[in-house]
Amino acid sequence: MTTLVELTQVTKTYDDGAGGRPALDAVSLAIGSGEFTAIMGPSGSGKSTLLNLVAGLDRPSAGRVTVAGEDLGRLSEARLARFRRSEVGFVFQFFNLLGNLTVLENVLLPAQLHSGRPAQVGARAKELLARLDITGLADRYPARLSGGQQQRVAIARALINRPPLLLADEPTGAVDTHSGEQIMELIEGLNREGQTVLLVTHDAKLATRHAGRVITLIDGRVDDDTRFESSGPVPESLVTVRIPEEQR
Amino acid sequence: MSLKFGILGLLAEQPLHAYSVKARFEDLLGGSWEVNIGQVSTTLQRLERDRLVEPAAARGERGRLPYRLTEEGRKALDAWLTEPESEPQQLREAIYLKLLLAARVANGDLPSLLARQRRVYLQRLKDLAVLEQKAKSAGRDDLVLLYKGAVLHTEADLKWVDVCAQEIRTGSDRR
Repeated sequence: MTTLVELTQVTKTYDDGAGGRPALDAVSLAIGSGEFTAIMGPSGSGKSTLLNLVAGLDRPSAGRVTVAGEDLGRLSEARLARFRRSEVGFVFQFFNLLGNLTVLENVLLPAQLHSGRPAQVGARAKELLARLDITGLADRYPARLSGGQQQRVAIARALINRPPLLLADEPTGAVDTHSGEQIMELIEGLNREGQTVLLVTHDAKLATRHAGRVITLIDGRVDDDTRFESSGPVPESLVTVRIPEEQR
Repeated sequence: MSLKFGILGLLAEQPLHAYSVKARFEDLLGGSWEVNIGQVSTTLQRLERDRLVEPAAARGERGRLPYRLTEEGRKALDAWLTEPESEPQQLREAIYLKLLLAARVANGDLPSLLARQRRVYLQRLKDLAVLEQKAKSAGRDDLVLLYKGAVLHTEADLKWVDVCAQEIRTGSDRR
């Protein structure tokens, strides 16, 4: 497995003048190509900071962030912008779709900014809409869609430029439970097809159900890094229902 | 007391002898519980003594006696099914005892115990998802509910471990 994301002694301190605890504190970790990794941790543990650094939306105060062979700290703003368009797709909790554009226009937007060939881009958009089961919504506007549908559109938009890395920050946080499960199943399906996924969530059930690895951050540090075992069938005796004995 | 009512519930569907009761019980709980045949026989005898069940026919093959529910048994079952359960909370897992002892015994390393316990709970959540999916595919919606219950309990255990770890961290910050 080749390494796609690597953080080496990464510290991020926000300049709030308070001189408080760093949001990330000397974090080192590597994520392989094709992995589905969930980042968990309580509020303020540094999850979103980590995601923003990997996305090139922010720069580390110290240490090195490398994604797809690019040392993000060394890139100029222009090259960083290009990196964000081609190497990462970002899915947000609140979808962040543009309300005055149709579904298809929203999905196509990153490709237009990336100056892809129109014919190929059109085919890719069609393929994604079909893959995410929203072909029938292509001409609708986001305001007319349910949360679950909007998040599917956001995933299609994130993947239009075929980025090697999909980042998702609480992608099910603003949708109902059932839609949330569907969204996660879609993301897991994309991962099975080879998409590397880095997911931030506070939901242990979703994280363990769909990801192969869970990294837990506490106070800006890696507290735990668990890769799940999937050897052999799970015994039904994992759950024992206790039937109290008759006393008399 | 649940074995008694478990048997009454199975007999409410059809008359059964002790061995069928055992087999049906195990199937009902999806293999998550193995019941002792002696326990079932004794309970059936007590139920007969209390007139909640009665023989449904003469002894059959290998002397097996089928039982059915009496009117009184039906009433007792109906009453039990509508009653909520208010047994005291039972924290039965050894981790609770370990937690108490590790905090007192010298060299008891509580943070690393909690971290390892957390991994166990994460793996359990993953495994329960597999069982839930298996039950769903098998059309066993009742077992799906059982596993959902187990998932929620494990989520609570996981939160509890996090709370313990948090308390220990803030405790050592204060010192």
